Amino acid sequence: MTTLQQENPAPARAPEPAVTGIPAKPRPSKMRRKEARFFWLFISPWIFGFVVFLLGPMLASVYLSFTDWDSFTDPTWVGFGNYVKLITEDTVFHKALWNTLYFAFFSVPLGMGIALWLAALLNKKMKARKIFRTLVYLPHLVPIVAVALIFQMILAPDAGPLNRVLAMFGVDGPAWLFDSEWVKPAIILLSLWQAGGATVLLLAGMKGIPQEFYEAAEIDGASSLRQFWSITFPQLTPIIFFNLIMGIIGAFQVFAQVYILTQGGPDNASQMLVPLLFTEAFRNYHMGYASAISWLLFLMVMALTILAFSTSRKWVFYETEVKN
Amino acid sequence: MAELKVYQSTAFTYAGLMVASAVFFAPLVFVVSIALSSDQTVGTGAFSLFPTEFRWENFVRIFQTQQPVGNFVVNSVIISVLSAVGQVFSSALVGYAFARLRAKGKNITFMIMLATMMIPAQITMIPQFILFKELGWINTFLPLIIPNFFGNAYNIFLIRQFVSRLPVEMDEAAMVDGLGYFGIFRRIVLPMMMPVLIAIAIFTLTWTWGDFMGPLIYLNEDTKMPLALGVQLLTSTSQELQTPPWNLVMVGTVFLSLPMIIIYYFGQKYMYEMNISTGSAGVK
Repeated sequence: MTTLQQENPAPARAPEPAVTGIPAKPRPSKMRRKEARFFWLFISPWIFGFVVFLLGPMLASVYLSFTDWDSFTDPTWVGFGNYVKLITEDTVFHKALWNTLYFAFFSVPLGMGIALWLAALLNKKMKARKIFRTLVYLPHLVPIVAVALIFQMILAPDAGPLNRVLAMFGVDGPAWLFDSEWVKPAIILLSLWQAGGATVLLLAGMKGIPQEFYEAAEIDGASSLRQFWSITFPQLTPIIFFNLIMGIIGAFQVFAQVYILTQGGPDNASQMLVPLLFTEAFRNYHMGYASAISWLLFLMVMALTILAFSTSRKWVFYETEVKN
Repeated sequence: MAELKVYQSTAFTYAGLMVASAVFFAPLVFVVSIALSSDQTVGTGAFSLFPTEFRWENFVRIFQTQQPVGNFVVNSVIISVLSAVGQVFSSALVGYAFARLRAKGKNITFMIMLATMMIPAQITMIPQFILFKELGWINTFLPLIIPNFFGNAYNIFLIRQFVSRLPVEMDEAAMVDGLGYFGIFRRIVLPMMMPVLIAIAIFTLTWTWGDFMGPLIYLNEDTKMPLALGVQLLTSTSQELQTPPWNLVMVGTVFLSLPMIIIYYFGQKYMYEMNISTGSAGVK
């Protein structure tokens, strides 16, 4: 989201040349009023969608989160009851929250690390670069439902290829999705398979780093590792930062893989916030309770985003803009 | 002058990339291998990484199961194409207005729109479900398609950025020629917007094609499900402890994934540009 705000958040452009050629008057001219009317007419689809699909539902959701509602009878007001229960009593929610944090804080930085390492390699002059790039990018294109089904086979405890490979090294592979110790690493593994998606972006960012930096470093005798940490990495921090935030937000909303592969099991070891929210809302018909979960989810996403932005000054390098 | 160190590839570069590519690509090879396996192999579970059998008939047999796979595919196409059409037209119109037309309150409206991008879909999920239920839209495609006809903040933002960089001289000339705002939009700006519109169409197509939660909430009849939701029904078996037809399930994942790879191949030029200009890894 940094880039969004960097690139003139408000349309603060220089005054446009008057289309009519008539000097500006204090009272808006007929032409300007007509222009404004067309503006509101043209954006009316968005305004309608905003009110009906976003603002209205948001307000309804706030209200519902303070009620007990099964969607068939009238809602009953319970005040902060749902929130209090979620925060103080509901151990399944606590587990889901912990698991989601665990998933986000391993999968996102690890994925970024892999993407960065691949980009650094692919940035070099070499043969068959395009083929390598395609091979690491392809998994990113596979829809998450298909990824889940594929990994159901790969992680199969006995005949699955992963455990067969591990056996070749004398390692007795775990039961992955059926083992409460290993189910979270399994789901992280599944997300890492798609890490190549960010590589293409990082690679584009690397292309925009001025050659002179490296030439100067070369003269100073810096090693290639040193060059990476002193030039490449700082220059890429805006892209890395943006994708970290987006990645964390995405990781908090993880759903399909959990729903398809484990249904939150075994013993809630892979239960996460959105699958729990879905189950409460559409399986148990606890609409009020589920709404409260959605607001806690929102608050956490917001808190993390604010935290990331407020600390970004320390480590994000903005001096040279990322090439657009 | 010798090649700079950053661009020098060593044996380690090749070794690293070969191992990484193999690890990333192996699951896809495995999918094809299972998809081409016989039912006997599925029964024993002894799949090999590389295909040893070539039962191409699996790609036909998947349409003869108890699950209406043909319907799944058609439904996916209908939902994602209509969503993309809605998203392209609505976002184009709104994005153009934000880029070119002047009005009091425009800046604040734009800020509000940007702020909506921060709101996770889960917040509005339940009230939207109630709304669509009241409208009698449950078990139809409408809840999945119709909201796309009202634009999306991210797409509108992309279009606004794109149009802001286009020269205004053409608009002005058209205005002098007596073309109205809608005429300028349709005849002048819309044709120039093509690259960004294609990118948005691709984003919407791929997102809708792979969406699981939306169909799961709104569709409960097998014949109405898109492929992303239907394909996992293939894993359900009539009897407990019976092995699912994994070969057909993997054919299903091929059907689910291949169109995305093809679309990417033909559209990467546009997606790449848009991704770079926003620095995001795309909407996924």
